[in-house]
Amino acid sequence: MKLPLSWMRDFVSVDAPVEEISRRLSYGGLVVEHIEKLTPGFAGVFAARVTNVEKHPNADRLNLVEVDAGTKGQFKVVCGAPNVKAGMLAPLALVGAQLGKEPALEAAVIRGVQSEGMLCSERELGLSEDHAGILALGADALLGGDVAAYLHLDDTVLDVEITPNRGDCLSILGLAREVAALFSGRLRAPRLRAAHSAASPDSAQFSIAVSIDAPDLCPRYAALAMTGIKIGPSPAWLRRRLELCGMRALNNVVDATNYVMLELGQPLHAFDYGKIAGGKIIVRRAGETREFVTLDNITRTLDPNDLLIADSDKPLAIAGVMGGLNSEVSDSTTTILLESAYFEPMTVARTARRLGLRSEASYRFERGIDRAGQVGALIRAAELIRKIARGREASPIADFEPRKSEPREIALDLGAMESLLGASIPPGVARSRLKSLGAQVSTRAKGVLAVVPPSFRSDLVEQADLIEEVARLGGLEDIPALLPPRVSALAPLNREREFIKGTREVMLGCGLTEAATLAFIAPADNARFSGIQIAARPVKVTNPLSAELSELRVSLMPGLVTSLRFNLNREARSFHAFEMGKVFRMNGDIATEHSHLAAVSYGPYALSAVGEQSVDAGFYSLKGILESYFDATGVSPRIAFKAIEPADAPFLHPGRSAIVSLDDVPIGLIGELHPAEAMRLDLSEACALCELDLSNLIAYGFSPRKTFQPPPKFPAIRRDLALVLDRNFPADMVVKTIREGGASLLESVEVFDVYEGTAVAAGKKSVALACRYRAEDRTLTDEEVNRIHAVLVEQARMRLGAELRQ
Amino acid sequence: MKEQLEEIRRRAMAELSDDAGEAQIDAVRVRVLGRSGELTEIMRGMREVPNAERPAIGQLINQIKREVEARIEALSEKLKAASLTKSLNEKRLDVTLPGMRVARGHIHPITDILEQMLAIFESMGFEVAMTQDIEDDFHNFAALNFRPHHPARDMQDTFYVDGGMLLRTHTSNGQIRVMEKRRPPLAVVCPGRCYRRDDLSVRASPMFTQIEGFMVDKRGRITMAHLKGVLTEFVRAFFGSTAVRFRSSYFPFTEPSAELDMHCLLCDGAGCPVCKHSGWTEVLGCGMIHPNVMRAVEYNPDEFQGFAFGMGVERTGLLKLGVDDMRLFFENDLRFLDQFPALSGGVR
Repeated sequence: MKLPLSWMRDFVSVDAPVEEISRRLSYGGLVVEHIEKLTPGFAGVFAARVTNVEKHPNADRLNLVEVDAGTKGQFKVVCGAPNVKAGMLAPLALVGAQLGKEPALEAAVIRGVQSEGMLCSERELGLSEDHAGILALGADALLGGDVAAYLHLDDTVLDVEITPNRGDCLSILGLAREVAALFSGRLRAPRLRAAHSAASPDSAQFSIAVSIDAPDLCPRYAALAMTGIKIGPSPAWLRRRLELCGMRALNNVVDATNYVMLELGQPLHAFDYGKIAGGKIIVRRAGETREFVTLDNITRTLDPNDLLIADSDKPLAIAGVMGGLNSEVSDSTTTILLESAYFEPMTVARTARRLGLRSEASYRFERGIDRAGQVGALIRAAELIRKIARGREASPIADFEPRKSEPREIALDLGAMESLLGASIPPGVARSRLKSLGAQVSTRAKGVLAVVPPSFRSDLVEQADLIEEVARLGGLEDIPALLPPRVSALAPLNREREFIKGTREVMLGCGLTEAATLAFIAPADNARFSGIQIAARPVKVTNPLSAELSELRVSLMPGLVTSLRFNLNREARSFHAFEMGKVFRMNGDIATEHSHLAAVSYGPYALSAVGEQSVDAGFYSLKGILESYFDATGVSPRIAFKAIEPADAPFLHPGRSAIVSLDDVPIGLIGELHPAEAMRLDLSEACALCELDLSNLIAYGFSPRKTFQPPPKFPAIRRDLALVLDRNFPADMVVKTIREGGASLLESVEVFDVYEGTAVAAGKKSVALACRYRAEDRTLTDEEVNRIHAVLVEQARMRLGAELRQ
Repeated sequence: MKEQLEEIRRRAMAELSDDAGEAQIDAVRVRVLGRSGELTEIMRGMREVPNAERPAIGQLINQIKREVEARIEALSEKLKAASLTKSLNEKRLDVTLPGMRVARGHIHPITDILEQMLAIFESMGFEVAMTQDIEDDFHNFAALNFRPHHPARDMQDTFYVDGGMLLRTHTSNGQIRVMEKRRPPLAVVCPGRCYRRDDLSVRASPMFTQIEGFMVDKRGRITMAHLKGVLTEFVRAFFGSTAVRFRSSYFPFTEPSAELDMHCLLCDGAGCPVCKHSGWTEVLGCGMIHPNVMRAVEYNPDEFQGFAFGMGVERTGLLKLGVDDMRLFFENDLRFLDQFPALSGGVR
């Protein structure tokens, strides 16, 4: 809301500098976003009355004009404007006047006649491009008075951000009231009294009937007919005020309604009375009416619940949103019907939002206007229209209020206020702050005030609202800053958070950098990277920002791959990153979310010293990271990696990918990107990816320390064996089979080498294993170990159908 | 015999000169002290020596033996030392070359900032609660006193998804989710991602991070003065000492509502283009929990009261780190991420 201080001063006098006004408004909850100090484009121009006009003796087109500039004196000037005539008031630039960037005005002899000054057009004053004639000033201009001041050119405009609860501040009067309250100043609210008497001769001719068929949406509707209107431009000062507030001037009637809306906050609408069938207004729901052409000449589709203003034949306006083309005030309009109503905020908000039509009027109705301000605004508008459009009231004010508003009384317990704010505010201060807002305050009981909020503060509903007002008007400065007593019991540890933190530590420690990507994704990426759940149905965004961001990710992988590509495009040689975040999928009809961990590893992985060979990322390097992670969580013994069915992850290399499972429940995927996919992304090296659903792991947590086991007292003895097996036989099955053989004193079995080549048959591989034997109570002898190991070797050979490699 | 011995001694000592090499020393050892060396030979010939002279000769043999051994020992030590010195020199490293690095990743700046914030609140006795991103209208709006069609909903342009749900526009849903399940006293912070319909740009992102915090207890125990105290302390701990102010504001779910500003970090209150010449920057929104919010979670507003606050992590991060482009947080440019520490969180 733009607040020109000159307009505000019509209602309140505050001596404080503009910066202080701005500061207090901001502290009080209405942020001043911008202070604009305006300067007029001219100086030395005064209001003067034209007293006499004569033809210039030496020029047909020029006149000799005598003017009276009050205290400044009487002057004779030469004037060429066609509209100059005796009696009018006009701006007079005297010798020495500064007009725009021109040199100071000098006395001049024009065609042999001395001119002591110049009557100015709007263009000469820099107000507009209008140079058709001199600017006519209103009759209220003071002779000899400064025109810049009269036109409010010397002004300061505050741009105030009005929070949604403060509809009452969407007016000059409302903001003036706020300023008066903040500075303990006195508000001079306008006195509004109707001018019309019932005996007026127009009354019979211009009757108004109003029928409110939807009192739930329109509790009050007031109207007034005015006739004798002469449509034309508004006076400069009024146009100027509208423009300062960011509105465009149209014609005197529309401008007057807008002016009153800005001043008092009550939106008004002017209909051409002649277009209203039977002079009868019906306020009703749209119902069967499906379409309506608004005054911007656009056909709007209506909802049966939209509120319309209609006559007996047709709709005239969408209530509170926009008027219709069919009843618009035109240049030939002579009689108007002014509407001043209260429409329920919800109905206006719903309709305006659905139609995408936000007007100054709907904006105010949505936020709640003064519940009792309808008649006053009509009176104010009539007064203006009389003055600037030669109109006269043609009817009494019709005022229908099928649903009265009851004033509410709210109890304010001063003790409760103190215990909410943690500060004691003297009762007298609380009382005067509430009164300055227009509330009626009385004492209900000891320490309890009875407060009746004014009709324009629909946001004050209960005690907490009043406490806020009291605190706010003190700029919250009454309230000290104290630390609360510490919570005595220790807050319970958040398991999920601790797990996520631990996971992050492991990933960082393994050399992966943490990434963050948006949850919004292109459907093509969801289709390409199905992540862990191959058949996952993506969650669609109903109102996406773009088609490229129209689904929520089912996997973290595409975001990481995009980030990889982003970095490779910027000279990076490698990219090793992880992300922890939510992924989403439909579960039946329900959109669900899941905490995932994903990683990408590409390019040289282990940084090495100068001259040493580094390792390139691939399946095994990333698997190693996952294994370190599972070791850290203590879950390793329950984890298995199994070769994947290509259909389960078509985006991964079918021979270099695995399903990760915990207790035989799949929890993730790991693999190298499919060569076709890598080619599409223009990746020349192996790109390893993995993703885990963290939910099962979180449930398990970082395993608590087990009971203490003493370090072994006696040494272990190692025996190796090498088995020749089919190339595709999984190594972990070998280990598992040997372990299941149950050889006594066998402590561990580990694969330490795998060989394929000329020394074994084609399609075969040799797996070398280290077996460790240990007894708890003695040092084993070679003979003893040899005996056990021989049995183990024989069993392994048999069970696995393997050859021994010598 | 004695002359013979003296000759052995003289010759051995002459050959065991200071510059004798390892080979020469070995040769002397074998010739003089060896199993069939000169001294052994003489010992064997002792039978022919008259009895009276035997002790003297025996003594002399032992003396020569000790002398030669000592000399050999000394020379060997010297040689060993020399060879060690030589080998140390040969194995000299260029200590200025880069070391063998153990890879260590970098923490994302949003996480870093978030963990720093959480650490401060945890040290003040708040617990951390994680709540959901996909939310219903009740928990994101209605329970927080946003009425249907209320203009306050326009302040947060919402994403809706399949299944009639929405993406939370703030972490304030955490307040409702926690309070629904538990009873006061509560001191909780809820971090998480939030979503609003803003294009990714220098200033905004459709996904961002917030922390919601709240404290609730019996009426009178947690006051607006405590709200001011806790948040002033937070700003001091997080940003270092800087001036703060509380301004009245409006949020549907708090009453009274306030915004916390601090002195602009760039100009320290003097006024600069970044703070639009006001000298202040907005840090967070806060207030006393609205009675309607209490009612929505079935707390009696006459019995309980408390405060709540919410702040944007990226925004605050922008302030603290001086990052001037929101997009940097989601592009994962290593040249950006590598600037952040490899240690996570905590107050530094």
